[in-house]
Amino acid sequence: MKLLRGVYEGPQSYGILRVAASIGGVHTLLRALPGEAYFRALYGTRERTGAMAPVTLSPLREGSGDSMAPGNLARDLSGVVRRHPKAEIVILARSEASLLSEEAIPVTNLPGVEGTGRPLQLVTFPWEEPGMREIEAAELALEDLIRSLMHDRTERSPYPTVNLFGPPIFGPSAAAEYAEAERLLDMIGVEVNARVPLGAIAGDLGRLPRAWANVLLYREVGEYATLYLQDEFGMPRVTTPMIGAAGTGAVLRSVGELCQLDPKSVQRMIWAELAHTAKLPWYARLEPPETFQDRRVAIFGDFTYPLGLGYALAREVGLEITACGTYLTHLQRDFLFHAYTFTEGAFVEDDPDQVASRIETAKPDLIVGTHLEEGVADSLSVPFLPLCPPVTERSFVGRPLMGYTGSSVLADELDNVLRKKSIEPAGEAPIQWTEGALQEVSEVPLFLRGRARRLAEEHARKQGSAEVTREIFLESRH
Amino acid sequence: MTILNESGIPDVLPPLHAVNDLAQRLPDVLIVVAGTQAEAHLIQCLTSAPSPNLPPFRRNQRVIFALLDPENPPQQGLLASRIVEIAAGNRGTELVLLVAGRAAESLGIDAAFEARLVARKLDLPAEVVNPDAPHEVPGILSTDLEDRVLAALVNLCPKRKTSDLVETASPAKRGGLFGSLLRRGAETPDSNGGRPVVLLGGTLSPGADRRLAAELSRTGVEVVGSVPGSGIAKLPPLGEGTVVAVMDPNLSSAATVAERRGATVVKTLMPVGVDGTARFVQDVAEEAGSRISEVVRARSVWEDLGVLRNRIRGKRIFFTGDTGLEIPLARFLADAGAVVLEVGAPRLDRRFLAAELQALGPDVDVVVSPDYRGQTNRIDESRPDVVISSPGLHLPLVARGHLCRSPRDFITAGLYGYGGSRRILELLVRTMERAENLDSLNL
Repeated sequence: MKLLRGVYEGPQSYGILRVAASIGGVHTLLRALPGEAYFRALYGTRERTGAMAPVTLSPLREGSGDSMAPGNLARDLSGVVRRHPKAEIVILARSEASLLSEEAIPVTNLPGVEGTGRPLQLVTFPWEEPGMREIEAAELALEDLIRSLMHDRTERSPYPTVNLFGPPIFGPSAAAEYAEAERLLDMIGVEVNARVPLGAIAGDLGRLPRAWANVLLYREVGEYATLYLQDEFGMPRVTTPMIGAAGTGAVLRSVGELCQLDPKSVQRMIWAELAHTAKLPWYARLEPPETFQDRRVAIFGDFTYPLGLGYALAREVGLEITACGTYLTHLQRDFLFHAYTFTEGAFVEDDPDQVASRIETAKPDLIVGTHLEEGVADSLSVPFLPLCPPVTERSFVGRPLMGYTGSSVLADELDNVLRKKSIEPAGEAPIQWTEGALQEVSEVPLFLRGRARRLAEEHARKQGSAEVTREIFLESRH
Repeated sequence: MTILNESGIPDVLPPLHAVNDLAQRLPDVLIVVAGTQAEAHLIQCLTSAPSPNLPPFRRNQRVIFALLDPENPPQQGLLASRIVEIAAGNRGTELVLLVAGRAAESLGIDAAFEARLVARKLDLPAEVVNPDAPHEVPGILSTDLEDRVLAALVNLCPKRKTSDLVETASPAKRGGLFGSLLRRGAETPDSNGGRPVVLLGGTLSPGADRRLAAELSRTGVEVVGSVPGSGIAKLPPLGEGTVVAVMDPNLSSAATVAERRGATVVKTLMPVGVDGTARFVQDVAEEAGSRISEVVRARSVWEDLGVLRNRIRGKRIFFTGDTGLEIPLARFLADAGAVVLEVGAPRLDRRFLAAELQALGPDVDVVVSPDYRGQTNRIDESRPDVVISSPGLHLPLVARGHLCRSPRDFITAGLYGYGGSRRILELLVRTMERAENLDSLNL
């Protein structure tokens, strides 16, 4: 048991639903308590497209066998088949309450659709278990979905093509990330065979081996699927995060190599992009070194974004990364291995309070994180960039962080926050803390501590006191 | 009025989403949610009623998730001691609410025991709220958690002093099935000054209880307080001899708890709309011991609303909401001249809402546990002027060209009392005017 003030990831069913809702022609039947079915409401507010979420609830309740109300799994499944004639794949996912209730799931195949003869497939996930997290489940679900659709071998395309494995639905500007990657690949003369999972339709998944290689934009979700394709069909993978100008260039060169393109023409295209689109290297050269000197950055997020951003900020911009962490505990080894290449402060942690204290001890001048880190930045009064999922910000215009356009977006963000040098309260004597006050401050929740300290010191100054006593501290908290 | 049961899957926001709103509304309560990742994630994602926009993320210090590990459920008492640690760091905590649903139960958490332990160690009240406990009537409403939290608060109200009890010569528990029908006339108003009234509800409409209390005081009734009111320390005494006036149609369990404590729960209309408020004030006053008539007042309010009513008259309104407040809202709008096409009720407690259902106009259809796909089709066919829509249907309906408002907009605008009637109509008129203005643009 853990006592937390927030969670970074959702449950396994949420991960499955994110993958399933990304792919066209897939409908999910979610076995859950009515009080657990929040995906539909979330889909509306996060996607803002006005489409109905491709998920149906099969409510878990006692005595559902005899009444005609929804709740009977077999009947609910045939209802989905009847109501969604365009669905090619039906997924059966289970919520944590359903898994904990240990009800048996008797259905093994889909009820036939009379007179249609359309291919319809039921995919279930026997590995589902309570306590599993969103990203791990999403990764497994994507692999299982692809596996279940590999019926017949497809020929390799006559011209170079790749599959893009990117973020699923609800990722910040997810569609824009694919679009940017596709634009760049198109420029070096490589066609995108399929975007997986976001933007794919069910049929695409069966045709993945057509492509010459798989480009892994978002490793968190695509790792297992691309490993399976590599083992089974010998498809090579490109795994470098496509973030920052250097990362993007590396990806494009690897793809060029795998697709047997002329390295010179790839390089020419990269130069052209560096001259016109990619503004991060230009920004780094334009600003005087003082802007970046002694500026410490703490980064926290999933896997691809903190690593990609960390590398870009450390190497391309020259900022000091004093902390870089992930909440994906199941990717701990991989993450630490990569993060240690650019920072000493790599860590893995999924309790927001602990993350806050890790960030606080790193004494950053800038925090790049998920929306849960906003409070930390606020309490330390340092600028904050919500660039790692999950974030609540939703813009109507997709702003990619990947590719060359993404590097320019990053330059803009940095320019906005780094231009304002933090103004130190100059010439003021440091304020001492009494034992009693220190004890009081240790009772304040971690993520609010910095703010409490600052307010108390301000209060002491206002009172003309050279130290923060217990009384002053308590007064400042009112 | 016709009541149909569609036996479908209604579009209801999970009741747990209300944890954040409740934590904000009850600043001296520490809410501990013991459950799964799903429950924590849900509360965090749906920080508030998700209207079209995503709410800004605000971490509330007073909401703690006790994330249970299914492989290794905690030993008995561990949860309590962790809660005690957390509560010690939170100044000004007056009450600990332990929210534990079906998942916690199936992992073997004895929430009642843990709460008792917390209460003993902290010397503070601690109550259990079970969001998954079955209701008398099947189905869920998105406002169920509010109901259950209010039930816990009613439990915490001080009982009335014995000296008060002697004075009021208790009218016994008479709430029961036909209480409201049998009671009329059988009871004489108290001769010595009337019985105190406690308002129940209006949780998420700031100031609603105060305005309604003022309305009641005008008739000479003594309103001693409201639940949730303005703090745990200020909860009014509630027990035998107290008259409880319920403001929201979803508060059936809170009302039951009040009844079980011996209070008289007034069975009347909800104080929504002109006639609703009039009946409410009149019946509550009568129960409290003063006989008044609100007819004149109601008539003058209706007259004042004349202009707004002209804008609403004949407008066709469809309700798919999930809060339970749709029924009184529909009743008022039908009275004001709108055409109510259908009212969806994910759960309908006919006994608790008997008065409301009776007052509903003859042309109004209530669909119990409606299917959201069926609703969408019927909306597409009937093309109403305004849809009061549940969160899951809001965006899809807007995308299909329907004009939508969330029932929560009415709640936050404050829909109670005579003043609330005006606010309801203004909100609708504003919505329609804006849509007309936007439609007149040539894009």
